[in-house]
Amino acid sequence: MKQQLEQIKNQAIEELKSAADLKAVDDVRVKYLGKKGELTAILKQMGGLSPEERPIVGQLANKIRAEIEETLTETLATLKDKETEQRLAAETLDITMPGKKTAEGGLHPLSIVLDDMIDIFRSMGFDIVDGPEVETDYYNFEALNVPADHPARDMQDTFYLAEGLLLRTQTSAAQIRTMETRKPPIRILCPGRVYRADEVDATHSPVFHQIEGLVVDKGITMCDLKGVLEQFAREIYGPETKVKFRPSFFPFTEPSVEVDVSCSECGGVGCRVCKGSGWIEILGAGMVHPRVLSACGIDPEEYSGFAFGIGLDRITTTRYKISDIRNLFENDLRFLEQF
Amino acid sequence: MKVSLSWLKRYVDINVPVEELCDRMTLAGFEIEECVDLSANMSNVVVGKVVKMERHPDSDHLWICQVDVGDRVEQIVTGAQNVFEGALVPAALHDSHLPNGAHIKKGKLRGVESNGMLCSGEELMLTDADYEGASIYGIMIMNKNETVGADMREVLGLFDWIIDFKITANRPDCQCALGVAKEVAVVLGTKFSEPTTDYKTSGEDINDYIKVSVKDYDLCPRYLGRVVKNVRIGESPEWLKKCVSAAGMRPINNIVDITNFVMLETGQPMHAFDYRDIKNSEIIVRRATDGEMITTLDEKEHTLTSEMLVIADGENPSCLAGIMGGLNSEIKDDTTTIFFEAAKFRRDNVRKTGRALGMRTESSARFERGVDINNVEYAMNRALSLISELDCGDIVDGVIDLNEGLPAPRTLNVKASDICALVGVEVPTEKIVEILNSLHLATTEQNGMLTVSVPSIRDDVEGKADLAEEVMRIYGYDHIIGKPMNSVIMRGKKLPERINADKIKSLLVGKGLYEAVTYSFIGSKALDTLGISENDERRNAVKLLNPLGDEYSVMRTQLVTSMLTVLATNYNRKQPAAAMFEVSKVFVPKQLPVTEQPLEVPQMSIGLYGNDADFFTLKGFVEDILDIFCDGVSYERANENYYHPGRSAVAVKDGKTLAVFGEIHPAVAEKYGLDTKTYVAEIKLGTLYEFSRGPVIFAPLPKFPAIERDFAMLCDASLPVATLESAIRQGAGKLLEKVELFDVYMGEQIEKGKKSVAYRVTLRSKEATLTDEDSAKISKKIINRLESVGAVLRG
Repeated sequence: MKQQLEQIKNQAIEELKSAADLKAVDDVRVKYLGKKGELTAILKQMGGLSPEERPIVGQLANKIRAEIEETLTETLATLKDKETEQRLAAETLDITMPGKKTAEGGLHPLSIVLDDMIDIFRSMGFDIVDGPEVETDYYNFEALNVPADHPARDMQDTFYLAEGLLLRTQTSAAQIRTMETRKPPIRILCPGRVYRADEVDATHSPVFHQIEGLVVDKGITMCDLKGVLEQFAREIYGPETKVKFRPSFFPFTEPSVEVDVSCSECGGVGCRVCKGSGWIEILGAGMVHPRVLSACGIDPEEYSGFAFGIGLDRITTTRYKISDIRNLFENDLRFLEQF
Repeated sequence: MKVSLSWLKRYVDINVPVEELCDRMTLAGFEIEECVDLSANMSNVVVGKVVKMERHPDSDHLWICQVDVGDRVEQIVTGAQNVFEGALVPAALHDSHLPNGAHIKKGKLRGVESNGMLCSGEELMLTDADYEGASIYGIMIMNKNETVGADMREVLGLFDWIIDFKITANRPDCQCALGVAKEVAVVLGTKFSEPTTDYKTSGEDINDYIKVSVKDYDLCPRYLGRVVKNVRIGESPEWLKKCVSAAGMRPINNIVDITNFVMLETGQPMHAFDYRDIKNSEIIVRRATDGEMITTLDEKEHTLTSEMLVIADGENPSCLAGIMGGLNSEIKDDTTTIFFEAAKFRRDNVRKTGRALGMRTESSARFERGVDINNVEYAMNRALSLISELDCGDIVDGVIDLNEGLPAPRTLNVKASDICALVGVEVPTEKIVEILNSLHLATTEQNGMLTVSVPSIRDDVEGKADLAEEVMRIYGYDHIIGKPMNSVIMRGKKLPERINADKIKSLLVGKGLYEAVTYSFIGSKALDTLGISENDERRNAVKLLNPLGDEYSVMRTQLVTSMLTVLATNYNRKQPAAAMFEVSKVFVPKQLPVTEQPLEVPQMSIGLYGNDADFFTLKGFVEDILDIFCDGVSYERANENYYHPGRSAVAVKDGKTLAVFGEIHPAVAEKYGLDTKTYVAEIKLGTLYEFSRGPVIFAPLPKFPAIERDFAMLCDASLPVATLESAIRQGAGKLLEKVELFDVYMGEQIEKGKKSVAYRVTLRSKEATLTDEDSAKISKKIINRLESVGAVLRG
């Protein structure tokens, strides 16, 4: 009987080894281990054995069953691996074929650049505020130290809607509204649409966008202004960017400066972009004029502040090398899809 | 302000190259608009003397000239017939460049060597105004006194630069050569010399010649007059003509040139009247009367109003104050006696008059920006000293100087430390004092307190901020070192409206839409194109008083026009599909005509065509946006002329319109050239933002399983599914979790005029697992409700 058992084991293992697929393995299992299987059949004959032999044969039978089962499991695993391998091989793709696109749209380039600026200035503590586009003469001019007979009014051609009512020519109007409603310390950024009666051409648009910044607190100096603008310029134009102040004139700041940044195209050596100067003019700024502070009920002896105005359209066209500002307002999809 | 380098050198030592001058002036606040090297267009042209002339053997018109060019004699062939032996002529040598662009090289003319070219005035782009005799036909014959071999640029004074300084609005004192020269002296640290104002008079009394009165001192705070007799009208000397030309004006005659030169030199406009033409020998400075006429020097006739100031004689206006003289009293070749005027006119009045008459002159430009009341006399004296210098008239004794008092210098007391505190730089006090004094702001210092005397010419200097600027632009802005802001830590916040707009934008971008940005004004006919009725409130739009054109003339009250324009642009450019949005605002006046700021109401639009887009694609976008803010939106048919009547809807919540959207009426789309199905949505963000979902509160996850039941039914094709859905909701009661429409079918197998609709209903209880009995009971209720609205369950 022991011999029989050994034979069964050898046969079973032999058959398992030659099994070609999962079905063959299962056949082996049924043939030897199933209810009507050969091993089961042998065990049924155990009754005819002597009581001494019975436990020995029983033990042997269990051992053989275990061995067969182990081999069966192994074989099964190997076969599964093989099958998986074959399936994967059959599933091979041409990975150079194009990917499936999920259509994503896009923000307008002006929005993309504005969002960047908002991030930069919010990180420096500037609240982002809005102001009305239709302004009164008072907020757009008078409170900004541009009285009716002031020659600075010639600097900008204004669209009027009624006597004393106009489309704002600068976001600076928001300075006044802010200072009237907030107390120092003030730190705000007011992005928005502004209007000037310029005929449309490659560099002029009657509608464009400015970003006005204002800081008012005790002890604010031009060094703070430069520090903030340097931080901004480095974020926008790269960490090596330098900032230069040139004296200028705006009625609502004194001293007033034009702010140049080192040309990011040539690093300041001089190129076509900066017209050989190494510098690009990006914004106007200055210390808030004492009269403007007074007009808003802020004591210029106690507080000081700075303001700056950035042309969003210009920053956008220089960043993307857009040569004609009209592209920004045409909304041709072939243009918009590029950003 | 255009001024030549040589002109500036009349008043100030300039010891640096012109490029450096330009850079340093820029850093002091005088941006350079342009710096033109006058010598750049000519080279290798010298004064030549024709020593011998022979006829060309093979030509009947060419001459072979031997020309002494200083260090040698060159053979040059010319075709001109006005050359003669001994003549001095401009000789362009081999490899020379002429202002007209020609490049002259040696060569052979009919076999005879020619080592250059003799030049005409035209070839050198000269006229008689530049060099006498330059305008004649033929070779330019030069003055006998010229040095043979001299560089023509030297002879013509072309080793010079014209520098155009940009003068900021706060510095009217620098709209003149002297103003610029003073600044140059401070910037370079060199000496400034004021030109002479000495002159001799020749007796008599001005009061015997003329009577002057000022009626309107409010518009003319100072009027100064002098008389010059025995005037000898003639040409101005070269230096004077050159200065006038450098500034971009045309030399005319000595008297007119003097008035122009003095204006360009001192910034004070002057005017000269022909004394003969002053009726009744009387000058009256007064407002014009309405309808009064004047013909100005440019021979244009103007009708005046009582807001315009004129200089009148005893009868008529003789000059538009500060803008232009009258034709009747202009200086003529035979003028013998003149009345000189120097005055200050109020700047806004000059500006308004100029605007109203469409006139802007060198004179009015200066008055508009402001002239110094104390400079008036200096300018007059300067003009008289030029009369003396040019010896072109005899100055009558006596001056008429009408004013209501002249301002004395103002005194400012400012702490030096306040100046430093504003700029954040420790400028040594003695440096501050030195700089201010150099700028003609007489300054003394005691214990850190500055006392600054500000002359009236520096009206712009009012306090510490202005002084800080004056100091820093000379001390140098490069001393300002950027530093982190010296202030409290603050967190930058966004307004809720911006946060909401950002959410909507990123939602739509994620769904494949592109953002458009369009102008806020549209054409006046836009609402007609959309077929919006005459009494619609969107007709109440704010109009621009001075638009660039009709297409930009009205502040928009809706965004459909702009969106259709954007879609049409893309459609015309053959884009097969477009999906776009714009987040902006509309302008709603509180009254018309407007007297106060209109409401600026946030609104947005979506536009689609192509790519199988349909009404429901658009509605999906609208629902997604509304869903950010609220639930429970109902949809009704829209009633807008520019939408397809059967394919447009209004989204309503609590009786408020949140959105109007749909397929654009084909007739309207066609007007925009859109012969494709076009979809537009208008979302009233202002109203939508009033709703908000509030804080999120966690709902416990369900403990018991849900039951799903499908209901397929037949109903009239015209029955809105919203009716069916609400019937289901009512029938299902509070155990309802979800209602989902999953099929709508019309066609074969279905009775005509009917549709098949299928819903999946999910029911769940929070307390227990629902039994089949529960579900059957609810299903029965649902079916009853559905039947009550006209739906029949399909078997």
